[in-house]
Amino acid sequence: MRDQRVARLGELIVDYSLGLEPGKVLRIDAPPVATPLAVEVYRSALAAGAHPYVHVEPERLPELLLAEGSDEQLDFVSPIAKAELEAVDAIVTVWSDSNTRALSRVDPDRHQRLIASTQQLAKRRWERMSSGELGWCGVLFPTDAHAQDAEMSLAEYERFVFRACHVEEPGDPVAHWRSVREELAARARALSEARELRIVGPGTDLKVGVEGRRWKPADGRYNMPDGEVYTSPLETVTEGEISFAFPALFHGREVDGIRLRFDGGQVAAAEAGRGREYLAAMLELDEGASRLGEVAFGLNYEIDRFTQNTLFDEKIGGTMHVALGSSFEDLGGQNRSVLHWDLVCDLRAEGEVFADGELVWRAGRFLEQPQPAVEHV
Amino acid sequence: MSERLRLLAEVLVGYSAGVEPGDLVVVQGTTNVEPLLDELYAAVLRAGGMPSLRATLELDDVLLGEGSDEQASWVSPADREDIEQADVWIVVDAPSNTKALTGISPEREALQQRARRDLRERYLERALRGELRWVLTAYPTQAAAQDAEMSLAQYEEFLYEGALLDDGDPVARWRAFAAEMKRVADFLNSKRELRIVAEDTDLTLAFGGRTWIPSEGRENFPDGEVFTAPLETGVNGEIRFTYPAVFRGRQVDDVRLRFEEGKVVEATAARAQDFLEEMISVDEGASRVGELAFGLNDAIQVFTRNILFDEKIGGTVHLALGSAYPECGGTNRSALHWDMICDLRSGSEVYADGELVYRDGRFLAV
Repeated sequence: MRDQRVARLGELIVDYSLGLEPGKVLRIDAPPVATPLAVEVYRSALAAGAHPYVHVEPERLPELLLAEGSDEQLDFVSPIAKAELEAVDAIVTVWSDSNTRALSRVDPDRHQRLIASTQQLAKRRWERMSSGELGWCGVLFPTDAHAQDAEMSLAEYERFVFRACHVEEPGDPVAHWRSVREELAARARALSEARELRIVGPGTDLKVGVEGRRWKPADGRYNMPDGEVYTSPLETVTEGEISFAFPALFHGREVDGIRLRFDGGQVAAAEAGRGREYLAAMLELDEGASRLGEVAFGLNYEIDRFTQNTLFDEKIGGTMHVALGSSFEDLGGQNRSVLHWDLVCDLRAEGEVFADGELVWRAGRFLEQPQPAVEHV
Repeated sequence: MSERLRLLAEVLVGYSAGVEPGDLVVVQGTTNVEPLLDELYAAVLRAGGMPSLRATLELDDVLLGEGSDEQASWVSPADREDIEQADVWIVVDAPSNTKALTGISPEREALQQRARRDLRERYLERALRGELRWVLTAYPTQAAAQDAEMSLAQYEEFLYEGALLDDGDPVARWRAFAAEMKRVADFLNSKRELRIVAEDTDLTLAFGGRTWIPSEGRENFPDGEVFTAPLETGVNGEIRFTYPAVFRGRQVDDVRLRFEEGKVVEATAARAQDFLEEMISVDEGASRVGELAFGLNDAIQVFTRNILFDEKIGGTVHLALGSAYPECGGTNRSALHWDMICDLRSGSEVYADGELVYRDGRFLAV
């Protein structure tokens, strides 16, 4: 039986996120466990007059490749995959795992080698996306494994995911996301006028320079769910300290109780509970890994708890996150790094944010609605 | 099960496809055969090949049911690139419901077949030039077992026995069987014409100048037949097919065809005659015989509604309407290739150039 929530999500991705036009070629990437969503995206794309096809990646392949493959096989990038990437107009990536820790015990060097090899295609994908030739949206399909990470039953987790995407109840999710788009765009415009943010919260008093940088809304076009505004801060200005209430996850590794002190934009001291060595290793990856590449407000208030999944955690309404490592060039960022590690700071209970000295955010909410776009023109 | 699956994958990769280090190997199948896809992927890696997995969903019912004609005729870049670039193409064909397309109109089905004709010709062409090795195989599913009127456990036994994987060294067994098939092919290559006589059947097929090829478990697995492409205008008489003719899940019962100078001039069926007629008129080549073959695999004895197995049943002959294999010298081109089987195991005779050479399912002197 069709789950109408999944059907609505498929339609939302095709009609809103991608805005798929007739005749366009859509590739849907999904693991077998996400078949119900892949089918719904496929159906919606047919209804939109497009040419969809589904590419399924069995979940065991990376494990088998790491176990059986030679270095040459790990490095190999299929010419078929390269040609397909040039031939499609849009890609939907459905993230979904039957076991989110299946690769936790593989050899880290070989794993890095495999990741580096897959980066070649990812890089080309970003190029085509940036130039506007390729549409893309990443979406999560709920499974027991993700529910387990979130410490929920599958039924609870499904409700959580579908609420966050605004497809849990019948209605008009496209209209909802259009209004989110307008609101976040106005918020981003307002923030783009600020020179400096000061973030104050538990164990946190951090100044971040954002003068001249552009803020961008994340409004459901590239991720579903979505809901944040973000920019890349000035590279040499960040001062003070910040504590992260939620464990930080990266490639399946977890680091608890991270506290960072910044001086002149650079991490001057880093503390953590579990995973301290991993944190230290990541900060030393390269020159840019110890500077901030992103600062952002999480604004999806349907996401109200930490679930050990960055796609959701960084959008929790009332949180802020910063990322160590690479920044966004299109927003004015200049920091370069192989790292981009999002760390989420919970400001819902007693956080305050000042923009150029003025209080703009308290306890997880902006104090004023931004000016609507029409009055801005 | 998993150990035999691993053996099946090893034989497919090592013997059938003969994967060499550096070969780009496309492994294609639907997600319901994931365990075999995983084993094939690992076996290709062990052989030093570069696996490119093409796992798909079973969506033709959605496409043909909900899509426009234009969408139904569209061929994806994935399909094109796989055929264009692969050195080896391993296809696992095992739907989870063999009748999923029964409700689709035959015209829509024909439309899709026509749209895919270029792909078929392209892979046959690359195969003929030695640029592409391909192998088609099966997987024990409940759907296949149900069509065979067996339990899944019984069907697994049937599959592994038919594939000569049930005992001893399978590669040695396939090599011995291949030598036997080659003798039959050599014998037929010394002839010019066959006449098949059986119940409601008296059909003459000329093939002088064409090549009979033993099918040794390389392109089909399991395997066991010798095949050729008869002369396009050299088929005359009538034939009644013993078994239901099954094409993409659609079953046509008791097919009888009458040929004049290679072309079907009369086609009747006890069930689904409209589908038969639609397929025969897909294009010009669909009403001519593209393949003539003898099934020689005695480990396959029963009809299971899966052509991969049925056409290999020891003691049968089959014809395919539609495209011919160019390696036999055949020139018939069509979007269709539909095999139909005639059981010759009792009350039948085959004459080669006027001489009795085959009776009741056995060659007399090979």
